[in-house]
Amino acid sequence: MMSKFIIQVNGPAYGTSASVNALRFTQASLQSGHKIVCVFFYQDGVYNSTDFNLPASDEYDVVKGWKQLAAEHQVSLVNCVSAALRRGIVSQQEAQENGLSHWNVEHSFIMGGLGELVTGIESADRLICF
Amino acid sequence: MKKICILFRSAPHGTTKGREALDFALLSASFEQEVSLVFVDEGVLHLLKDQQPELIGGKDYLAALKALPLYDIESVFACKQSLGDYGLSHGLLSIPVTILNDEAISAHLKAVDEVLVF
Amino acid sequence: MILHHIQTSPSRDNALKLCLRYACKEDAILLSSDGVNALLLRQWAMALSPFKVMVLKDDVIARGLTERLKNISQIDYSEFVAQSLQHDKVITW
Repeated sequence: MMSKFIIQVNGPAYGTSASVNALRFTQASLQSGHKIVCVFFYQDGVYNSTDFNLPASDEYDVVKGWKQLAAEHQVSLVNCVSAALRRGIVSQQEAQENGLSHWNVEHSFIMGGLGELVTGIESADRLICF
Repeated sequence: MKKICILFRSAPHGTTKGREALDFALLSASFEQEVSLVFVDEGVLHLLKDQQPELIGGKDYLAALKALPLYDIESVFACKQSLGDYGLSHGLLSIPVTILNDEAISAHLKAVDEVLVF
Repeated sequence: MILHHIQTSPSRDNALKLCLRYACKEDAILLSSDGVNALLLRQWAMALSPFKVMVLKDDVIARGLTERLKNISQIDYSEFVAQSLQHDKVITW
């Protein structure tokens, strides 16, 4: 039977294993035929969304993993915008609104609000946090 | 509508966990979820009155605790053992809370739909 | 029935201790990441013994602990997904 998951990622791309474990759980749930309502990045999880992560060429790139998963399975990757802005994680729109000439979040990640986490929890069968 | 429990287990100020927990709690309530807050372990220090986080570069997010009734958040629980561990008697708390023993907290965690730990 | 998910070491974090304080007998506990190291310490292995305990297989193999933890139920990610649905909720401490 198909179930719906919402995944919350609170750990950064580099520094703890939370993001890698979250990605692997998400991949496994898709492979088992379940649906992912969205992957919501909160707290230090927003550090997964910067395009300026540059792991060494022989290292596992978890951010690339999230982007591939999103592209292949049409999974929404949603940042908490207020958590992101406080950590220097900025999309083009916020850069323009705040007079910044640079931004580090491109289109793979959506800048959303906590409301999307709440409505996601409401529509999902399970919330899984990492 | 879901029953969402937000569990505070980290101390205030040293990390932003408590603040991000409270942001989520208020937002969930404004989206008409049935929200409950549970303070355990070092998290009970959120409830201590007369804190001045501005002195250490923080924001007085604890003031929002007083606004919980405005958000219809009426289920605010604190762990009896944790309050005792940190020497927090009723008179030291900034807001009214319901004090629960471990079994009652377990029962609450069981009764809600989702628990988010901060 | 709750699936409690611990991803941090009990030497650095109170997650496991708190989970054990509030877990019910019928709940299960999944240790992942550094959380698996708890089972190497007698004190935590004993505290966990009344519960159904699982460890995330790759986290165990990656740490060279397969032999040490051979008596513990080792699950892969697809089993983690299945377990999360068999339980009423997952609490990540």
